[in-house]
Amino acid sequence: MTTLINPMNETSVGVAKPPVRLQGLEGCSIGLLDISKPGGSIFLDRLENLLKQRYAVGNVVRVSKPTFAKPAPEVVIEKLRAVDAVVEGLAD
Amino acid sequence: MSELAPAIPGVEFRNGPTLVVFFETDCPTCRGTVPYLNRLACSAPVVGISQDDETATRQFQEQLDVTFPVQLDPGLALSRSFDPMFVPTMFLLDTDGRILKTHCGFEKSALNALAADMGCARVAEEFDGAPSSKPGCMSRHLVPQADGERLAPISKSPRAAAASVIAIADGEDEFEYCFRVFGDALPVVPPTPERVKRMLGGTDLDPAEIVARVPPCYGEASVEKIAANAVMAGCEPKMMRVLLPLVRAVCDERFNIHGVQATTHFAAPLVIVNGPVRNELGFAYRQNVFSNVARANSTLGRALQLILLNIGGGRPQGIDMSVLGNPGKFSYCIAEHEESVPWEPLHVERGLRPEQSALTLFAGEPPHGVSEHNARKPQGVLKAICYALRTVWTYRDCMRSEAIVVMCPEHARTIAKTGWTKRQARDYLYENTGIPVREYETAGDAEGTRGVAGYKEIRIDGELCYQKFRSPEDLRIVVAGGTAGKFSAVIGSWTVGPRGSQMVTYPI
Repeated sequence: MTTLINPMNETSVGVAKPPVRLQGLEGCSIGLLDISKPGGSIFLDRLENLLKQRYAVGNVVRVSKPTFAKPAPEVVIEKLRAVDAVVEGLAD
Repeated sequence: MSELAPAIPGVEFRNGPTLVVFFETDCPTCRGTVPYLNRLACSAPVVGISQDDETATRQFQEQLDVTFPVQLDPGLALSRSFDPMFVPTMFLLDTDGRILKTHCGFEKSALNALAADMGCARVAEEFDGAPSSKPGCMSRHLVPQADGERLAPISKSPRAAAASVIAIADGEDEFEYCFRVFGDALPVVPPTPERVKRMLGGTDLDPAEIVARVPPCYGEASVEKIAANAVMAGCEPKMMRVLLPLVRAVCDERFNIHGVQATTHFAAPLVIVNGPVRNELGFAYRQNVFSNVARANSTLGRALQLILLNIGGGRPQGIDMSVLGNPGKFSYCIAEHEESVPWEPLHVERGLRPEQSALTLFAGEPPHGVSEHNARKPQGVLKAICYALRTVWTYRDCMRSEAIVVMCPEHARTIAKTGWTKRQARDYLYENTGIPVREYETAGDAEGTRGVAGYKEIRIDGELCYQKFRSPEDLRIVVAGGTAGKFSAVIGSWTVGPRGSQMVTYPI
């Protein structure tokens, strides 16, 4: 029998439990994360209007990443911790 | 969550945030930083870690009136554990010993920010006779101190569990298994325990030592896992000497391999090898330098890509979202033809000694060829390259990209024989690459037209243009290729700077 040294990633990672799905949006706090791609704000502006007018969300928290090319720094994630749900806007 | 710092014998952090500073006694920047650290030490804990011996450290303390406690670092064990790239490097630790902030080099604004974080008053005034910032020197643990010296094994770095062993079922071809599970769409050499053991013979490091955590999945690249991927790529054991610093370099936060692997752009890490290691390990820098000419180039570049795939998890059709990809994602490694012209090679331009072997990483597009067989003067050769440089990223887009010009020896000699230096050639490229302003008049909303307010106007051959690059340093010339034929190449960048990918150079 041939044996091989496993060349793949075997780093153990914690498993996070997904949050409970929201039953509706009314009165909820929704985060909109702009990753800073050109055009992202246009998409998220429209989404913010729809969330407020059509779904009566409580408030919208707008946060931007400093650059789309890197993971969100902790300070950005921290601003979104208190919201009920986050929409991340990718655009070009 | 912040990373837990390695323990420093005899140092506790209970008295509030502590600044741990790594320094070398002969580093001018370190010496210039001491008065500010003394000021900070009046009201907050500062601990110095000297990378030099007891005598040199004592002289340093006496000459500069160092008021904070200083520890020696025998065998550079602490330096290897904290792993600063340059000195001085300051690590701000909280009371639990977690690293809150890291700063490299001397910078007044950073020192004041650190002081504020520690609840102290400003320590650096703007006009006190010292420059506002000054880069430091390479940390001693990254530089062999004498010819032939091998770096001591790291004793305090984190360890990974041994890699698991996979048993191939009887009747299954091991080449087919590896091709299917570990490969890059090409066959690989099966990493049997015997082959991996032979590969580990190319390094003194402990197989369990974690060299880096490879984005985007942040897999632990232990020396053993790196060796297994090197076997698969076809490396010889002696290539571990280059591959280990390469893995460390590709995971340097400034290079941002996380973004390079996840982007929709063409970018792939281009490895450029300089110094004596080129000839010692057989790196090609003449004909066909970008292609299938030498085992060293091909297998080093491929080992890096397999490590990014298998340990980092940057798989195509998964996290790697490149629209068209890049043939360099099989292997993208060249060496500089340093002997062809009397110009400073890339690693010397980047601050290293000529006799120091080094590797440089650049997140680049595939090469774009430039033919110029008629020009007999520097300006003629360089003008042809300027036209190719205009198209980097996209034609009308200015002030955001960088580029490497891989100049063939015949072009380089045409320029060098008139007495031009590499820097003069680069400056000419910078000053003569621009997009005519008239090209924007009918361009509508084309990419590159929205940022014109931030573009710089220049005149090139009497025509009003927007300058393509922000500074001459955005262009790097690397001489490589065969000595017959006047073909050079331009390699455009991905997103650059602190918000994208920055070129990194590591000693080998």
